[in-house]
Amino acid sequence: MHPGIYQCVLDWLPDGARVLDLGTGDGAFLERVVQARHVIAEGVEMNPDLVARCIQRGLVVHQGNIMEGLDQYGDQSFDYLLLLGTFQELLSPVDILREAFRVGRRVIIAYTNFAHYRVRLQILLQGRTPVTKSLPQRWYQTANLHFLSILDFREFCRQMNFLTVRDAYFSSRGPAKFLPNLFAEEAVALLEPVNPHHH
Amino acid sequence: MQGPIKDVPASLPQGDLQDQITAGYQSPLGVAGTQSLALREVRLQSGFIFDQVQVCYQTLGKLSARRDNAILVCHALSGTAHVAGLHPQTGRPGWWDYHVGPGKAIDTDKYFVICSNVLGGCEGTTGPLSTNPKTGKPYGMDFPPVTIRDMVAVQAKLVEHLGISRLFAVTGGSMGGMQALAWTVDYPDRVRVCVPIATCVSHSAMQIAFNEIGRRAITTDPNWNEGNYTAGRRPRHGLAVARMIGHVTYLSEYSMTRKFGRALQPRANPAADDEDLFTVESYLHHQGDSFVSRFDPNSYLYLTKALDLFDLCDGKAPEEVLRRVKAHFLVISFASDWLYPPPQSRELVRLLKRSRVAATYINLESLYGHDSFLIENREFAGVLRDYLDNEYRNGRTHQAAAIA
Repeated sequence: MHPGIYQCVLDWLPDGARVLDLGTGDGAFLERVVQARHVIAEGVEMNPDLVARCIQRGLVVHQGNIMEGLDQYGDQSFDYLLLLGTFQELLSPVDILREAFRVGRRVIIAYTNFAHYRVRLQILLQGRTPVTKSLPQRWYQTANLHFLSILDFREFCRQMNFLTVRDAYFSSRGPAKFLPNLFAEEAVALLEPVNPHHH
Repeated sequence: MQGPIKDVPASLPQGDLQDQITAGYQSPLGVAGTQSLALREVRLQSGFIFDQVQVCYQTLGKLSARRDNAILVCHALSGTAHVAGLHPQTGRPGWWDYHVGPGKAIDTDKYFVICSNVLGGCEGTTGPLSTNPKTGKPYGMDFPPVTIRDMVAVQAKLVEHLGISRLFAVTGGSMGGMQALAWTVDYPDRVRVCVPIATCVSHSAMQIAFNEIGRRAITTDPNWNEGNYTAGRRPRHGLAVARMIGHVTYLSEYSMTRKFGRALQPRANPAADDEDLFTVESYLHHQGDSFVSRFDPNSYLYLTKALDLFDLCDGKAPEEVLRRVKAHFLVISFASDWLYPPPQSRELVRLLKRSRVAATYINLESLYGHDSFLIENREFAGVLRDYLDNEYRNGRTHQAAAIA
């Protein structure tokens, strides 16, 4: 993932927040968040070898598959949930987000933009499933299940009644503010329910 | 659901140290014995009061000047106070010698380790085999019913006697895990870290069923005699069968296939007309016999009953009971453990988290069933060491910050 996305997350999280990182991997980023923001943090990860790495770092971590829900957590037990880079790999994003907003107040999602111009050109000119910097794997290797664009994501949020509080877009050269759906390879958005009290 | 088999060790783990032939086994602790302590006035949950309870215990390592490095290890059904080091009489290693000792997961160079035989046991702590002061004979079935919480209450008195007001950690597998859990509820201010391993908040019907088969085997042995057996006529066969059943539930299909397959036992006398014996049969016979020589059948009845009756929340709302818990948790389960299956550990973790207790959970992919915590197991040892060391360091940092 673009380092700018990690920086955005660090900038957006307030000190002392309660943070749950879904798909936390080896915990390297979550450890950084803890050190920089003094948050009360927890990770969820399904690979036991990576869970062991998180334990080595001294993180609170839960071995589990987020596709099976977050039943172990009470309602609104976190301020922020992080879904960084795994969003397009989730079989049912609708269910995950419903569960995420039960457990937490705000959700930060990072995803890959499938409408980047290079992706478009590869399909149009070569007639091949694109392989780019942000989509590095071939169709038979990729863990991605959903191929969404920034416009798709925005529409999804409107339909789900999620308000985009902040967002940012990146290409390999840095921030991509101009026509992001064409020029951004990766995106990150901070969401909350439109009317949290009625959610 | 089990992941692909990976990293299969070239030589199979030797299994539970206790009942193995352990010639040539070296313990870095060398010979390490046990001690005994007499406690006065011990009141049980049932209301029964012992005038005196004898407790057999072992300590390893040194208590720090701040008295902040004590780890209480709680043993499982067949365990003893002798957790590590070589037994002064038998020369056998303690049941957790793989994981307790200098430089091991529970590092005796760093921590002061305590392990005591449970109340109701038969290896030095007062139990059904002890003499009833009222009759001058063994208690037998006159021994009062004991609970996991009673065992923990006795441990709490021992810990107090050792001058420790707060344990750094309490840990144990299976029945030991239940004791560790009970500690955090009954003595929330006296334990900082809890590591329950391959355990549950209460037994399922299946776990109770296996225990009942074991108990039935003992009580239907003609020698049992309502618990009033003599040393020469003990219900050996019943206890051996109970152990054989128990032992199978501690293994996994994979570990049994790897260890025995369909191999036949070599015949002692090739000329004799004996029936062939599968290695697994011979192994179970050996396990049964070896257990009978060291374990009291009545004790087996009492301890399995304590296991079955254990309920961490005692029927109360979990949030109410667990709200008072202050310890941090590392909950460990094993994917191949079908006696205390991972969903039971996940349920424990769910109850803890929903009561806002900090809990880390890992389900290790060990292939060796319930026994996975007793064998040599690098992943398990690594996780246990890292967690304890991080918590210990953080505790010290916080203490220093509080003083400053």
